[in-house]
Amino acid sequence: MDHALLDTGFSCILQLPTGSGKTWLAKEAIRKSLRAGNRVVYLSPLRALADELSLKWHLEFEEFPVGVFTGDYGKNGRKFPVTYEDSRVLIMTPERLDSCTRNWRTHWNWIPEVDWLIVDEIHLLGDGNRGARLEGTISRFRRLNPFCRVLGLSATLGNRDELAAWLDGVAYSHEWRSIPLQWRTVHFKKADEKPALLATELRRVLNAGGQSLVFVQSRRRAEHLATYLRTLGINASHHHAGLDHTQRRTVEDSFRTHQTSVLVATGTLEMGLNLPARQVVLYDLQAFDGSTFSPLSVNTVWQRAGRAGRPGLDSLGEAVLLAPTWEKSAAAYPQGKFEDIRSGLNSEAALAEQILIEVQSGMARSEVQLRRVFSESLAAQQRISLPFDSCLHHMLDSGMIQKKASDKPDREDRFFATRLGKIATRHQLRPAAVLALRSFLEQHQKFTSFDLLVACASSGDCEPLLAVDFEELEHLADALGGENSFLFGHGIPASNPIPVTGKRLLAALKTATVMMRWTRLGDLETVAEEDGCYPFEILRLQESLDRLLLAAGAIQDLIDTPLLDTTTPTEERQKRVTPNQQRIALLRQMILTGLDESTAALTFISGVGQKWAGSLHQAGFRDLSSLAAATVQELAALPGLSSTRATQWIESAANLIHQPTLPPLNAPRIRTLPVDSDLPLDPYRLRRALDLQTRKVSSTQWTVSGGLEPHAVSVLQDQLSCDCLDHQKGHTCKHILAVRITSKDPVVTRALSMVNTISPKGWLDLFSLWFAR
Amino acid sequence: MIVPFLSNSVRSLKTPSGTLHFPAYVPVTTFGGKYPLDALIQPYLPRLSQAVMVSYYYAKQMKQRPPLPLMVDSGGFAMLFEGSKLLDRDGLGVLQVQREENPEILHPSDILDFQEKCADIAFTLDFPIPPGLELSESERRQRYTISNAIWALQNRRRKEMNLYACIQSWDAQSAAFCARELARHPFDGFAIGGLVPRARDWELVSSIVKAVRQEIGDRPLHVFGLGKPSTTTKLFEMSVDSVDSSSYVKLAADGRLWENPDFKLEDPSTPELLRLAISNLATASRTRLPLPLAVMQ
Repeated sequence: MDHALLDTGFSCILQLPTGSGKTWLAKEAIRKSLRAGNRVVYLSPLRALADELSLKWHLEFEEFPVGVFTGDYGKNGRKFPVTYEDSRVLIMTPERLDSCTRNWRTHWNWIPEVDWLIVDEIHLLGDGNRGARLEGTISRFRRLNPFCRVLGLSATLGNRDELAAWLDGVAYSHEWRSIPLQWRTVHFKKADEKPALLATELRRVLNAGGQSLVFVQSRRRAEHLATYLRTLGINASHHHAGLDHTQRRTVEDSFRTHQTSVLVATGTLEMGLNLPARQVVLYDLQAFDGSTFSPLSVNTVWQRAGRAGRPGLDSLGEAVLLAPTWEKSAAAYPQGKFEDIRSGLNSEAALAEQILIEVQSGMARSEVQLRRVFSESLAAQQRISLPFDSCLHHMLDSGMIQKKASDKPDREDRFFATRLGKIATRHQLRPAAVLALRSFLEQHQKFTSFDLLVACASSGDCEPLLAVDFEELEHLADALGGENSFLFGHGIPASNPIPVTGKRLLAALKTATVMMRWTRLGDLETVAEEDGCYPFEILRLQESLDRLLLAAGAIQDLIDTPLLDTTTPTEERQKRVTPNQQRIALLRQMILTGLDESTAALTFISGVGQKWAGSLHQAGFRDLSSLAAATVQELAALPGLSSTRATQWIESAANLIHQPTLPPLNAPRIRTLPVDSDLPLDPYRLRRALDLQTRKVSSTQWTVSGGLEPHAVSVLQDQLSCDCLDHQKGHTCKHILAVRITSKDPVVTRALSMVNTISPKGWLDLFSLWFAR
Repeated sequence: MIVPFLSNSVRSLKTPSGTLHFPAYVPVTTFGGKYPLDALIQPYLPRLSQAVMVSYYYAKQMKQRPPLPLMVDSGGFAMLFEGSKLLDRDGLGVLQVQREENPEILHPSDILDFQEKCADIAFTLDFPIPPGLELSESERRQRYTISNAIWALQNRRRKEMNLYACIQSWDAQSAAFCARELARHPFDGFAIGGLVPRARDWELVSSIVKAVRQEIGDRPLHVFGLGKPSTTTKLFEMSVDSVDSSSYVKLAADGRLWENPDFKLEDPSTPELLRLAISNLATASRTRLPLPLAVMQ
């Protein structure tokens, strides 16, 4: 019956448990299409998964070229293994297909031949960041190719019929698994019991010859727990998004070949990968959502649990939930009542981006056309009221799009993307991000590299987010103290052009300090170790910041030369490069190469890339001036450098130093607020306690949540006691302080009032940012 | 090679690019960017039709031929443009067309040479006879239409290219005459032109078609330009084998659907024009509609 679904002529939403044949059905659809002379697009949510599939399918569909199109290819000299036009199976990330639909005319040599658009993990439609973009992409693709059917695959959908109705298709599901999944809930009274309980659960399965996957809420926890398990003699590794692709593949291969028995992972292993786990343990049933810790969704729990017991790889499947005794809601997980997938278009930022794409791509040019587009959206299917009018007016008012009278009298006025709007679509940035950058650049005729990095890192399009732990605030304060800034040199300005605050601003500040350190040290491992992040995160930030800085350069050009249009010759534009444009271009080179300002300037010479700039730096040619003053013999002594090239470089350097130099910036140093040391209670714990939620269970007992784990506070011998590790070490922990705040304890109240009054003007108060609500 | 015409059998025509099964609705398309919607529709034509018709003028601008049998018309309809002239060159009819400032001369040999490079089915250079044209001029145009066709047959070098002789007339009698003259020669098929301005007079159209069929026997018969589904149904019932038309695009440009006369889409966007055109073509060629298009109605 599953197979027959592919022949109905309808789009399909297939909701089948993990490991029950979704991939097999996808391959059947592909085979049929290929035999009929058509093409297939397969959307994979992860780059690594796309690569893995392309390797497998290259062998499986050997007579038909399989292309892989992700952010890892198509730039920096890394060509696509197979071109779009030559590929019969196109494996892509949703972002890459999004780009193709934005520039659909250049992809018209293959889009009409696509028969199936297979969307793996289609529940991503409900993902805050990527959901609206995926919805827009599917919508555009279907309009460009009305013959194409969508095959949406997922194990966890609360509203498959609704999604199918949106696609004019049919929905099908079954709950049968070839390997039945057994659920177990293991209760703990105190959080510190969890590691030992985990070890017991793991040993039971390992002793019977199985392997286990353990899902945790943070990267640090994955690492610590794997280390802890190894001390118990359990062969465990960790896996998370901080590892690069090679490291991840090594860990996965080690698990596949049974060299590793236990893999402790974050959500990175939630989707797609085929790993031979008999048991899946959900060690944490809470996750950090960017501002607080919330219970995992049913969909997430099932996505993770579904990894247990894979056909052909294992014979048993077991999902274990670790839950506190007082937390009854965990009992609902095994029932599998999945949440609905909701359209993300109700966010004004997401809707604005989709309106701009429709206009810029020429797929909808008038108000009536735009209204029809969104009347067919998933949001409309779900009767979600979209802020269309306000969004359209805002886009017009802010200069992202403009309206012109149609050249045909019976037609509506036409919308066109402005230069600013085109910057957003070209670099796949949200209009809000581009407007924020413009606002920053307009308000600040003088900015330091650090300032611009903070502006970029504040954007929702900057990934990954380097969140700041409370314990990191002092380190961050030290790092900020080494930076010059017009923005934060006198504290947070009253008219702050940075559109974020609180913990999000802290993350932007941390990201900027990390990347500044990267340009000074140029060593990924060292920077990552010093700043508590991962080398792979720095590499991903390079990608994001590259796009944002290119956009910033184009926006600065727009500010400096508002009357120039895109038809102005390149030479003419280059003559008009202003100091701020130079600064942005230089910062981009610094970020891309990991070199300081002087050395990065060497890369403006044709033929000098990151490696040569580094070699020149080591040889003592640390800036353009020293290179211009070098002799050919001195340069040609460098291994691999010919005399001809040396001559060219010296001439180029001489030309470049004769161009107007960047005026010096005298930005003040950032001063961060010193630690408040005169308080009667520990200020760190006191401020963290403000973030926690307390619930009275009885007259002598409270549960405190909102931190890494929920904890129980109770009255023992007239004293408050907590089950957390901090309290066991003899400290008045944040959980107890939270209970005392709720109880209006006078000592705590007085301390709080002292904390709140410490905010001297002119200082950057990281604590206030942390506690800002 | 034509499969013999029998009332209950399936008729077909082999071409270098595949077999054309009759009856066939053949969409007209253009190249060169003057009609951008055509370029968008072209990749979908193999899903919706068996062949495609291009006129000589636009076919010359074709960079990549569609992957299905290609019919190349002579472009003789340009005779109807202002400033066009029919000239005699050694007994053949030559068309002089005023394009921009310089006149362009279309000799039957220019057209045949080009058709032999790319056409699966070629049509000889004919001269349309609009209603009301003086009899002497009508007879002159018909005479050159016949002589051009016979010349093309005698000079065809690529034998696998099917050559259709064009028939121009103003009534059933003149159509029978023209067809009779041409039917003596081994053309692969025949095509009736000049019916578009007479389409409202169904009696006349049907009498011309009947007269031609009477003269040409079992050989394939094509009718130029009559693409309205209700008309094509009647033509096919009268043993016409194929028709061509661009009206599926023209109707779409107006936001309309053949399938649903009450439907009118205001200010259609580019993808909506594409959907409408595809839908119209599917209706005309009796191809199963893609579901999203069916839903649109």
